[in-house]
Amino acid sequence: MKTQNTIPKIVLTAIAIFVTILALFPLLWVIIAGFKEKTEVLATPFRFFPEQWRVTNYTDILSDAVFQQAMLITFGGAIVFAALTLLVNASAAYAFARLEFRFKGAIWLYVIMTMFIPGMAILLTSFIVVTKMGMLDTMGVLILPGIASAGHMFFMRQFYLNIPQSLEEAALIDGAGRIKIFTGIFIPMSFPVFVIVGIGAYLGYWNSFVWPTMTVTNIDLVQIMQYLYTFRSERSSEMGMLMAGSALSALPTIILFLIFQKYIISGIKISGLK
Amino acid sequence: MKKNWSQDNLSAYVLLSPILILLTIFVVIPFFYAIRVSFYDWSFYQESTFVGFRNFYMVITDRLFGEAVMVGLKFALMVVPSTLILAFLFANIVKGLGSRMASFVKTSVYIPTIISGIVASVIFVFIFDYVGGLANYVIGLFGYEPKGWLADVSTALPSIVAPAIWLGFGLTALIMLAGLLDIPENYYEAADLEGAGAFAKMRYITIPLMRNIFLFLMVTGFTANISQFELSLVMTNGGPLSVTTTPNLYIFNHFRNDVMVGNSIAASLLLFLVLGSISAIIFKVLNSEKAVDG
Amino acid sequence: MQAKKKMSWTALLSILVILALAVTGCGGSGNKNTNTSPSSSSSPSSSPSSSGESSESASETPSSAPAEKVTLEFWANKFEPTTDAWFKKWVGEFNKSQENIEIKLTIVPGDAWDQKMKAAQAAGKAPDIRTLDYGKIANNAKLGAILPLNDLMDPTLFDDLYDNVKDFVTVGDKYYAYPKLVEPSTVLYYRKDLFKEAGLDPEKPPTTWAEVLEYGKKLTKKGVFGFSTAQNAGDLGWSSWGLQYNSAGHLPVTDDWSKADVMNDGYKALLNFYATAYQSGIMPKQQLSGYADATPFGQGKVAMIVSGSWAMGLFRNDFKDKLANIGVAPMATIDGDQTKPTATLGGWTLAIDGKSKHAQQAADFISYLLAGDPKIMIDFFKTSGFSKFSPRKSVDEAMKADPDASKDAFRNMVAEKIIPYSKAEPIYPWDISFAFSTAIESAMKGTSVDKALAKAEKDINDFITKSNLAGTNPK
Repeated sequence: MKTQNTIPKIVLTAIAIFVTILALFPLLWVIIAGFKEKTEVLATPFRFFPEQWRVTNYTDILSDAVFQQAMLITFGGAIVFAALTLLVNASAAYAFARLEFRFKGAIWLYVIMTMFIPGMAILLTSFIVVTKMGMLDTMGVLILPGIASAGHMFFMRQFYLNIPQSLEEAALIDGAGRIKIFTGIFIPMSFPVFVIVGIGAYLGYWNSFVWPTMTVTNIDLVQIMQYLYTFRSERSSEMGMLMAGSALSALPTIILFLIFQKYIISGIKISGLK
Repeated sequence: MKKNWSQDNLSAYVLLSPILILLTIFVVIPFFYAIRVSFYDWSFYQESTFVGFRNFYMVITDRLFGEAVMVGLKFALMVVPSTLILAFLFANIVKGLGSRMASFVKTSVYIPTIISGIVASVIFVFIFDYVGGLANYVIGLFGYEPKGWLADVSTALPSIVAPAIWLGFGLTALIMLAGLLDIPENYYEAADLEGAGAFAKMRYITIPLMRNIFLFLMVTGFTANISQFELSLVMTNGGPLSVTTTPNLYIFNHFRNDVMVGNSIAASLLLFLVLGSISAIIFKVLNSEKAVDG
Repeated sequence: MQAKKKMSWTALLSILVILALAVTGCGGSGNKNTNTSPSSSSSPSSSPSSSGESSESASETPSSAPAEKVTLEFWANKFEPTTDAWFKKWVGEFNKSQENIEIKLTIVPGDAWDQKMKAAQAAGKAPDIRTLDYGKIANNAKLGAILPLNDLMDPTLFDDLYDNVKDFVTVGDKYYAYPKLVEPSTVLYYRKDLFKEAGLDPEKPPTTWAEVLEYGKKLTKKGVFGFSTAQNAGDLGWSSWGLQYNSAGHLPVTDDWSKADVMNDGYKALLNFYATAYQSGIMPKQQLSGYADATPFGQGKVAMIVSGSWAMGLFRNDFKDKLANIGVAPMATIDGDQTKPTATLGGWTLAIDGKSKHAQQAADFISYLLAGDPKIMIDFFKTSGFSKFSPRKSVDEAMKADPDASKDAFRNMVAEKIIPYSKAEPIYPWDISFAFSTAIESAMKGTSVDKALAKAEKDINDFITKSNLAGTNPK
């Protein structure tokens, strides 16, 4: 396998680097376009780098109070959302993976069934439900509806199924309760799967815009994608600022990803598709 | 286990109650509500009248709905196989790299996956801009006239396929890589002893052992992409004509424009049947695999 | 076994549903203030968007100001910054001017409007007052989504309206909205300096479609497109109404909405015009901006552009240095006859939601803002660069005394040469307009004109049959 009759490593490396650059190119372009004058973003002929590097787009959008607020509130919301997603779905995942209880089959069916309900079908009726609950224009309406997720639960259950029974048996003999075992043994072991589900939940929250657009009017609660979408249509001539805003909006996610990348990339293995 | 039943019951219900309550309020009730509404002529200001299957009939006989479903299929059929093939080739390349290089490459290609549909759309709208966009600059270098990528009926759909591939490529490649690395090296060594070439190894070892991964990626990719709508909403708003109106965009547009919303809800429920059965298949595949494993 | 499983399953389901309903019910009643009585100012949750400071002051007021003070929700579409500022300014003035009504203005972005409004209506939370364009009045009235204003506003206020505009807001024998402005949707703007460079007379803009195509060719050069207009079905749907009248003398459906009326030479010529303009390379192959946004013209990327009268407001506010070179004319016609309609009169009104609990107070606000002191409306027309026109005689009278307004050449040209020949916007469902504009777009994208029209005819007829439209024209 090593060298004979295969392509030389240098060629492989070159191809890999080329693909990597290609994958990162759109992102690099948007970051760099953020340094351009607004008329320069789409200037002809095409130029990758700005004639003159200027930071005004970045400073302008960063000093826009609505943008700041949107970044902060979306980030805060996403973190809370991810934490609650882990808690709610991991509890259920543990119960399904390890406990025997009455109606287990029926409850399982009930939960899994929701995985097949498309969001678009319940968009309007969910809106009516949250309105009736008086939740419009609150953080609750942004966070609560998406927390429970059969998909995430299912994924975590797979993980728990693979944890050896012997681990908890000792604790059971010592008389520890099931919930204690969950919080004391399973949660600490869940780090790799929590990183994956947590980032997934974070992304789902951070990137959403249809639901916030419908449920949030209050300028203090505007979410970042909602902000960008509106910015794009209403200040269409401010292209440099739009580029800068788009680049900045991706930044927290990229930083988070880089922090946890080791676990995410190895986590892809444990998603276990053998 | 049996002796702990009563104890487990209580713990289980405590652990399950959050997910059950939340799913019931935010998914199940809206779902049954939606089913009910789809049988009514619902206009908010007047008494709703029961219309039976009329909403469904209207949707099925709407030429645009059929077209939207076709657009969704075409879109998925363009995105999924190309992503899979590119990712498979790339994963094989990465596998042959040194570990330092490989980890850098893995991190980098994954990054686009975390970019939102909105930001991706914004970027690609600029890339496909008629006057100052990169795409027209590049074809200009080869002496071609500028194209209206997003306005031309023949190029619009491929143009929104590009960001979809970009977004999906990284994760797909890494899943493939994980699968490749799971194949024991001694299979290849044995093949080497028999004098098998690279192609034969691919044909007789790699591909068969990756079958489940391909299947999984195909089915998840297909469901994800047939329900795509952010890209076409932001980049083309479904145009030109309706060549980029995906099923979900069709529903969303009806929801926004129609006086009576029963129609759009009926449409989404019909789509639910299609997507739901596809998801059910994925689930079945996955669940059986895991049940054996676990 | 099977039966037992089924039993437990249904039992469980019903328990969960009951549980959920109980939770829902609790949540609902706990927040009753937000839902049912927007007037109550004692609960901070009733004004979620107000800052801490104002909710604090609100909680002190109940004793001093008795329950009469009502808070009304007012959603305004997002327009030009000048319009948004005008709304904010005069809503503030109104709130200061009296004690009983507090208007809460929310400016809703255009992209979000339909989706938010639909959701709010479905949940019974639509705003008391909303901006509404002329074309949607009849349908909303028919559905009961907006209230008749006859008994809510002083009838003499409607006598102040020009007759044609009065007709726009009338359904049956009732007025359903009060108009704010009219604006012709189709005006031709051209660059005089580029005309000169191309050897064209800058005082003679094209008057026929053939001339538009010819001039467009001469004006197109590197970096500048000769001509630009709507080029996708969404924009064409409404921006081409005037030209539909121009070419065929009627819209693509019979007056009683019983069948399509598209197979005529006028429409063939219309589709040919759009198709030739697009295919001959004088227009960009992919739009530089939407029809309503004339920025590319201001930036010098286009030599002739068709847009609404509002574009002048954009030029006056954002492209002051180019104003001297901007020429304005009625859109060219099929045969050069400039007394044929080229535009429809679009425009915006305010209407009151069919479920509003404070219709009288809402009407009082509309009377104040749109039908009251002319200086409020003059302030609006001034800040928008006279790119919009008054539906009220008294405002025009008052403006005559205003030197800026009376001498404004753009305003006079549109008022004399375009508005008198303009038509009202059609009130049939959007699907019909869209079917026809899809035909225009198909022709531009290469479908033969006959085929495109045949398809539009079929689509319109299908739509009429399916939605039982025949004979339902409310006017």
